Amino acid sequence: MPDSDFLTALRALHEGGVEFAVVGGLAAVLNGAPVNTFDLDIVHARDETNVAKLLQVLDRLDAIYRMQPDRRLRPDASHLRSAGHHNLITTCGPLDVLGTIGRGLNYEDLLAHTVEMDTGGGVRVRVLSLAKIVALKEELAGEKDLAVLPILRRTLEQKQRG
Amino acid sequence: MTERDLQPQTEYSEDGVDLSLIRWMLSLTPAERLQFLQRQVNAILAIRKLNAGQ
Repeated sequence: MPDSDFLTALRALHEGGVEFAVVGGLAAVLNGAPVNTFDLDIVHARDETNVAKLLQVLDRLDAIYRMQPDRRLRPDASHLRSAGHHNLITTCGPLDVLGTIGRGLNYEDLLAHTVEMDTGGGVRVRVLSLAKIVALKEELAGEKDLAVLPILRRTLEQKQRG
Repeated sequence: MTERDLQPQTEYSEDGVDLSLIRWMLSLTPAERLQFLQRQVNAILAIRKLNAGQ
């Protein structure tokens, strides 16, 4: 399995002009939460133009579905226009491309809850806010969500205190 | 030096979260947080590789 290289993947998406937001564990880390994650989760705009840009970047990163790597199944435009989740493996490590998160929230729904951050070397990306991450995890309340919630809540409190 | 001075200086929330670690993370820029995570992930993956097959 390729090693994770978050910044290279983010740079490829940024330079490819893809409209996306970082969500999940990496968004929590970028917001200052001391948690670990091995994959990059993004929610993308699903219009035709953006899906075409995203496909070009995924092709450059040699992205295939990681469930059956031997079959080397590649996502196509119809996959990426759907609301579903695409768990991929790339030359930069695991990348989850998500049509929606939570209870069906798409890129446009999330946009107002994102902040733009410089992740290094001028790579500026939209990142889901910590308040929204906490709200989504409280709503879903899965085992994995509940385990990390205390750290996210305390980080949010500390951030709000300034 | 009093006995109190010798106590470890720890600060945890009621639910056991290390607040000093959070404050340290918040003192970094997003780019520095990403670099820190990347180093952690690389170290964990390197240890996994060293122990593969055991």
